[in-house]
Amino acid sequence: MSARQLALAIALSALVAAMPVAGQAPQKSYTPPKTPWGDPDLQGVWPGNMGVPMQRNAALGERTALTDDEFAKKQEQAKKQAQADSESTAASDTKVGIGPPSYWTERGKPTRQTSLIIDPPNGRLPPLTPEAEKYRKEARGGKGLPGEWRGAADSWEDLNIYYRCITRGLLGSVIPVVYNNGNQILQAPGYVVFRNEMIHESRVIPLDGRPHAGPDIRMYMGDSRGHWEGNTLVVETTNFTDKDAIGSNGAGYPGDPGYHSDQLKVIERFTRTGPKNLDYRITVIDAKTWIRPWTILLELQKDDNYQILEYACHEGNYAMGDILSGARTVEAASEPRP
Amino acid sequence: MPDGHPNLNGIWQAVNSANWNLQDHPAYAGPMWELGAIAAVPAGKSVVEGNDIPYKPEAAAKKQENFKNRHTEDPEAKCYMPGIPRANYMPYPFQIVQTAKDILFVYEYANSNRLVNMGKPIEDASDTWMGTNNGHWEGETLVIDVTGLNGLAWFDRAGNFASEKVHIVERFTRTSPDHLTYQATIEDPSVFTRPWTISMPLYRRVEKDAQLLEFKCTEFAEELLYGKYKKTGNGDRK
Repeated sequence: MSARQLALAIALSALVAAMPVAGQAPQKSYTPPKTPWGDPDLQGVWPGNMGVPMQRNAALGERTALTDDEFAKKQEQAKKQAQADSESTAASDTKVGIGPPSYWTERGKPTRQTSLIIDPPNGRLPPLTPEAEKYRKEARGGKGLPGEWRGAADSWEDLNIYYRCITRGLLGSVIPVVYNNGNQILQAPGYVVFRNEMIHESRVIPLDGRPHAGPDIRMYMGDSRGHWEGNTLVVETTNFTDKDAIGSNGAGYPGDPGYHSDQLKVIERFTRTGPKNLDYRITVIDAKTWIRPWTILLELQKDDNYQILEYACHEGNYAMGDILSGARTVEAASEPRP
Repeated sequence: MPDGHPNLNGIWQAVNSANWNLQDHPAYAGPMWELGAIAAVPAGKSVVEGNDIPYKPEAAAKKQENFKNRHTEDPEAKCYMPGIPRANYMPYPFQIVQTAKDILFVYEYANSNRLVNMGKPIEDASDTWMGTNNGHWEGETLVIDVTGLNGLAWFDRAGNFASEKVHIVERFTRTSPDHLTYQATIEDPSVFTRPWTISMPLYRRVEKDAQLLEFKCTEFAEELLYGKYKKTGNGDRK
């Protein structure tokens, strides 16, 4: 990309940032119930599931929905998968990995949505800025930013926050993974709380128009402020750290940990489109990292039978001690004997 | 609230030394001399009614052991979830979010939280750090019945504790616009000879811009927990 093209891309991204069209709420007419104090009532448990890939298969181009044939195939696959998940014993020659058993996986009902990313129109993540590419390559003396465990680690700092059980960050907490995708909305006068099972997060979002916390206060989950636009809850979040990665939830962002910068701004739009339907759009704006903003759509279904349990990730993090002590044991064994 | 119940919404915090030690205690040195007076413990009056925690003999010995090893064994040092009742009197604010139905408690420390079910009581599905919480109103008082605690949390930095058999009944009463009275009765026949009760005021954080910030302390505890497994310069174990 030439300097001129880059300048154009940046100018365009600024324009799109001002008008994130795909991030706008859907134009469906449904009037949600009201809380006793008169706000639109979004309350309930709205679990995510893994049915829709983060990025669209490039062969599908700008197509946002599967055809009847493609959808039928997907349903057939889901049926077979459900059958496999319900097997209570595995064949004796089955290779057993360290991942959770397949029946843990929250796959959900198949839908026609071709990708979570709905903008850019090709359903793919926009390219990184040259600055972000350079930063990722040169981080930690050329080792790159901490990502997935590759079989050895000198310190916990070689592992991403998924392994460290610190948090998944705002985006990693809602982009569906294999399990613990529970989300819950609670409302009190002047506040909305967005609660995520992954990892026991409760973002308490003030609605009173107060300014953001000062710029020296940085948080993994950011600093959220909300307001109503009609029946849509709009939440703007800033004050992020640059230490969490979108892909740190271990899925949904394949091939790259997905680090963002501390300039990240996230705009979420929550709109009820039916008694059991929530249209949840997230626009990600970070001109230091991506050449343009991008938006994902989660079509969530209300499930009052879904019980959000306490995910004590750090408290039960035996993996961290095992990964590090394992690496030291291997090193000690390979040292020459005196 | 529109439903006629007292409104407990707000950001609250204890102002006492209960997190250091629930019982009467003089000031004493902290467990690490390197930190000088910074880690020293302020004196405090007991929040335990009658000051006595009625441990069975073997449990009293365990408490002494906990106190001795507190700088490495206190779950607070490890950034583990605080459990109940401790979450309510740590030196961090917490927010009560009282909806038209259930009530959520969000604690700044370790972003721990618990949803208090105000509907038909639910059974504890499995033992957890923050317990299974069933609430109801008794007049002006929110009463929370806490079961299903895993017994791994401590009650303070002095090593007071209970087991996974503990049953706690909490009472939150709004005694003025900016004050709550908090009371918790702790019952665990495997550790104590009788139930005992703590009580203290909680104060509203009245700053106009008061809000919960983030205290994700895992990264402050990693050296303590995993430092012994870190690779040192020469490839030796630390």
